[in-house]
Amino acid sequence: MNNKKTIYILLLCLFNNFILNSQILKNLTSSYESFSAYYLDDSKTGDFSYDKRFRSNNYFNLKSNIGNNWNFELQIESYAPKSLLNYSENFEKTNISTFKIDYNKNNLSVSLGNFYEQFGSGMILRSWEDKDLGINNSIRGLNAKYRLNDEINISTLIGNQKKGFKYSKGFIVGFNSEFDFSKAIKNNSTFLLGLSYVGRNDQKTKSDFYPEMTNLFSARIDYSSSSFYSNFEIVNKSENPVVIFGSLSDSFIKKGSAILLNSGYFKNGLGLDFTFRRLENMSLFSEREAFGNVYNESIVNYLPALTKQHDYSLTNLYVYAAQPNVSFQSPILTKAGEIGIQTDLYYFIENETFFGGKYGTNLSINASVWNNLDGNFDFNNQKYETELLSFGEKYFSEISFEIRKKWSEKFDNIFLFVNQYYNKRLVEETTDEVKSNIIVLENTYKLNSNKSLRLELQHLSTKDDSKNWSAIALEFNLSSAFSIYFSDLYNYQNPEKDKKIHYYNAGGSYSKGINRYTVNYGRQRGGLVCTGGICRYVPESTGLSFGITTSFF
Amino acid sequence: MKNKILLSIISLIFTITQGIYSQDIMPSVYIKNINGKSINSKTTYNKKGLTVYSFWATWCVPCINELDNIHKEIEKWNEANVKIIAISTDDSRTKRRIRPLVNGKKWGFEILLDENQALKRALNISGIPHTIVTKGNRIIYRKMGYKPGEENDLYEFILKNSIAKN
Repeated sequence: MNNKKTIYILLLCLFNNFILNSQILKNLTSSYESFSAYYLDDSKTGDFSYDKRFRSNNYFNLKSNIGNNWNFELQIESYAPKSLLNYSENFEKTNISTFKIDYNKNNLSVSLGNFYEQFGSGMILRSWEDKDLGINNSIRGLNAKYRLNDEINISTLIGNQKKGFKYSKGFIVGFNSEFDFSKAIKNNSTFLLGLSYVGRNDQKTKSDFYPEMTNLFSARIDYSSSSFYSNFEIVNKSENPVVIFGSLSDSFIKKGSAILLNSGYFKNGLGLDFTFRRLENMSLFSEREAFGNVYNESIVNYLPALTKQHDYSLTNLYVYAAQPNVSFQSPILTKAGEIGIQTDLYYFIENETFFGGKYGTNLSINASVWNNLDGNFDFNNQKYETELLSFGEKYFSEISFEIRKKWSEKFDNIFLFVNQYYNKRLVEETTDEVKSNIIVLENTYKLNSNKSLRLELQHLSTKDDSKNWSAIALEFNLSSAFSIYFSDLYNYQNPEKDKKIHYYNAGGSYSKGINRYTVNYGRQRGGLVCTGGICRYVPESTGLSFGITTSFF
Repeated sequence: MKNKILLSIISLIFTITQGIYSQDIMPSVYIKNINGKSINSKTTYNKKGLTVYSFWATWCVPCINELDNIHKEIEKWNEANVKIIAISTDDSRTKRRIRPLVNGKKWGFEILLDENQALKRALNISGIPHTIVTKGNRIIYRKMGYKPGEENDLYEFILKNSIAKN
C-alpha cells in the first residue's frame, strides 16, 4: 500500500515536472475578455422585456506552440446566464468554441480544427471573428497552404461552418491560387493574379429543383506601381433558389455575379481612389435557410457596404447596408442587387502656407452612390432580366467633407460635414426616404502631457423620419490610465412627444498596458461607439455594463 | 481514489499557474505589404534598433490621431533609430482607402495589411489602437488605446531602451 502511494506520488511529480518543463506550457499565452450588463427598466423606452437581466459574454483564449512547427489554439466561451442582447441564441452556456492545431514547415502550412480564411477580397469566402458583432463563422476542418516559390501560392480547404456552438449541415470546400508576375514585367511594379473556387454543399434543404452544391468562381488581377494601382475582380455564382417571403422558391432559380473595379492615384500629399461594384444575387450562406438572419450567422462570403465607415454617433443613424440579394416584395418593390460607385480624395495642405498654417491641414472628401439594378422585373411571374451597367432606383448617396487641423501644441480639431440620402423604403422594405445634413466638430485640448479634454458637438438636420437630432460628448483623460466621459444624443424634434428621448451615457475606463476595465451607465441607441480610444459596436438597451480585457502574454 | 484525483487536479493547476509566464516573441503569420504581396510578420522588424507596430484602421479616429501626432514630430522619432510600422486591420470594406489616406497625410511609415486579422488574433489584440514595441522579434512594450499626449510616453520609452541598448 505504501509502495503504491510512493509510486503514485513519484508519477505525479514526474508528470507535473514534464508539464512544467514541456515547451507547450512554457510558450502558453492567454487572453480573457468579458462583457457584462445589468439591464434596467426604462420609463422612456420601456421595460426590459426579456428574461435574465444580468447577462455576460466571456472569451478565454489559450495559445501555445512546440518549436517553430506546431501551434495550438483553444478558445472557451461562456454566455451565462445568457448572452448579451443582440447576440444569437446559439451562443448558449459554456463550451469549447474553437480548437486548432497548426503545422508549419518550410513552405507548407496545415491547419486542423477551426480556421479563419479569406480568398481575395472575400466576395466568395471569408471566415472571421468579430466579438462585437457576434460573428464567428470559422470553418472546422482542414486548411492546407503551400508556397511553391515566391511567385505561386496555392491553398485548399474543406469543413463545416460554425454557427454559435453548433455546425452547419453540409460542407464548404475551397481552392485558392495566387500568382505574382511582377518579375516578368520588370519595371518595379507589382502584378498579381488570383483564381479561386468555393463550393457550398447544403444538405439541410434538399430539392429536385436545384442541386445541393452551389459553385462560385472568382478571377482577379491586381496592379500597383509607385503612384497608381488598379484591381479588378469578377465572380460567377451557380443557380440558386430565390427566397420569397421567407421560403425557398422551387421555380424562381437564378445565377449570381459580382464585378469589382478599384483604381487609385497617389503622390506625396495627395491620394485619390475610385471604386465601382455591381452585385447580383450574391449572398451565400452555409445553410440556405439562414438567408436574411439578423445575426449574420452562417454567412460564407463578405459583401460589405462600400461607403465611408463613420466614427460619430449621428453619422451612423442612417447607415447603408449592401444590397446583394433578390427581393420581390410587391410589384413596386423588386430588387436584384446593387450597382454603384465610391470615391475618396485625401489632400494635405503644406505647412507655412495660408490654409496650411504652422502644422499643415488635412482635407478629405468621400462620395458614394448606390442604386438598385435596372431591368425588367415581372412580379407576378417571378422573373427578371437585368441590364449590365444601367443604374436603377437609388438606395443611398452620401457626400462628406472633413478637415483636420492642429492649431497649436495644445489644441486641434476636426470638422466634418455630411450630406446623406437614404431610401428607407427600398433598403429596409418599409416606407419613407430621408435626406439629411450632419455637422460634427471635435475639439481636443491638451492640459499637459497626459491630461486632455475632448469635446464632440454634432447636429443632424432633416425634415424626414424623426426630424432633427443633436449630440454632445465630453471626455476627460485624467492620466494615461484613467478616463471618464459623458455623452448625450437627443432627438429633440421628434414629432411624437414621448419619443423625444435623451440617449445619455456616462462612464469611465482604466487601462494599463494591455489590461483594460470599463464601466458605463446609460441608454444605448446602438451603433459604433468610440470612447477612451477604443471603438466598438454596442446594442440598444438601458443599464449598467462592465468590460474586462486582459491578456497574460 | 477521490482524494487522489483531487490531489492530481490541484497539483496540476498549481503546476500550470507556475508555468504561465510571459511569452514575448512576435508570432509567425503571413500578412501583406501595401502592394498585396505576402510577407512573414517575423521578417518585418528593424535590424538596427527598435520597431514600433501600431495597429490601426482608416475608420478609427483615435488610431489616426496617434499616427498623425507621431508623424508631426517624425524627425525626432527618426533620430531615435526606431522603425514605425502601421499595421492596418481594415478589411475589404475600407482597405481601398489606405493608400490614398496614407499619401494624403504624407505619412512616411511602412504600411502592412492584416486584412483578415490573422496577426491581430495571434497577438491576442482585442481592440485598436494597439501599440507594440519590439527589440528584434522580442516584444518589450504593449499598450492598448490612445489618449492625446500618450505618444510622448511611448517616445520616452523608446529613448530609454535605445540608449540601454547602446
